[in-house]
Amino acid sequence: MMIADNKIELHIPSVMGYEKIAMECAASVAKKMGFTENRIEDLKTAVAEACLNAIEHGNKMDTSTKVGVTLTVEESKLQVAVKDEGKGIEKVIVPSIENKIEGKEKPRGWGIFLIKRLMNEVTFEPSPEGGNITKMIIYLEK
Amino acid sequence: MNKDIQVSISNKDDVSILNIKGDVTAISGESIEEAYEKVSTDGAKKVLLHFDKDGYINSGGIAILIGIASESRKKEQKIRITGLSSHFQKIFDMVGLTKYTEIFPTEELALKDF
Repeated sequence: MMIADNKIELHIPSVMGYEKIAMECAASVAKKMGFTENRIEDLKTAVAEACLNAIEHGNKMDTSTKVGVTLTVEESKLQVAVKDEGKGIEKVIVPSIENKIEGKEKPRGWGIFLIKRLMNEVTFEPSPEGGNITKMIIYLEK
Repeated sequence: MNKDIQVSISNKDDVSILNIKGDVTAISGESIEEAYEKVSTDGAKKVLLHFDKDGYINSGGIAILIGIASESRKKEQKIRITGLSSHFQKIFDMVGLTKYTEIFPTEELALKDF
C-alpha cells in the first residue's frame, strides 16, 4: 500500500475475496473523514462491487493481473478509482428482477446497478496506460 | 465446506430455518443452495433465511438468493428473511427482492407471519 499526499493506493490480486481488503481500506478512510455509518456501508458495497467487476470481467480472474485501487481524499469528498487490465464494458444491461425471477435473465449482473445507486457520481473510462477505470465519488454531507 | 460461511438447518413447527453465518457470495452461496435443496427435498413449504447482521453480502450472493426466490415460486414455498442489517435490507429493496419475499426485524416476527 502506498500513501502520498491525499492519495492512498493499493493493488489487490485478481482473486475473488480480495475485494474485501479494498472495501475495508475505503471504509477506514471514510470513517477518518467523518462519513456517517450508513454512507460508509454504501461505500463498502460500491467499492467491493467495482473490485469484483475488475477481478471477474476486467481481468478475467487472471492471477498474473492486479486490480489497482486509488483513494483520493478531498475536503468534501472521497474519490475511489478502481483500475483493471481489461478491455472495458461493452454494454451495460439494466437488470430486471422480474426477468431474473422468471429465468429470462441470469440472476447475476447487479454490480454496476448497485454502484450507480449508492455513489454520488460514477464514470467508466479507459485508462491511458490500458485497461479501464471505474471512478466513484461520494460526498461528505455536512 | 467453505470457511467463509456456516449454514445450519433448524426447524420450528413447520418452518425450516437456514441459519446463515458469514459471507454470502457467489462462492460461499453454494452452501446456502445446498441447505435450501435439502429442506426442499424434505418437503419444506415455509423457509426462513436467518442472516448474520455482521455478514458481507455481494452481488454474487444476491444472485444466489434470487435463484432461491425463483425456485420457491415453482415449489410453492413461502420464503421469509430476518437478521439483515439495515444496509442490506436497503440493498434487497433496491434490487427488488422484497417483491418476492418479506424481511422481518426478528425471527419471532418472521415465524408469526408464515
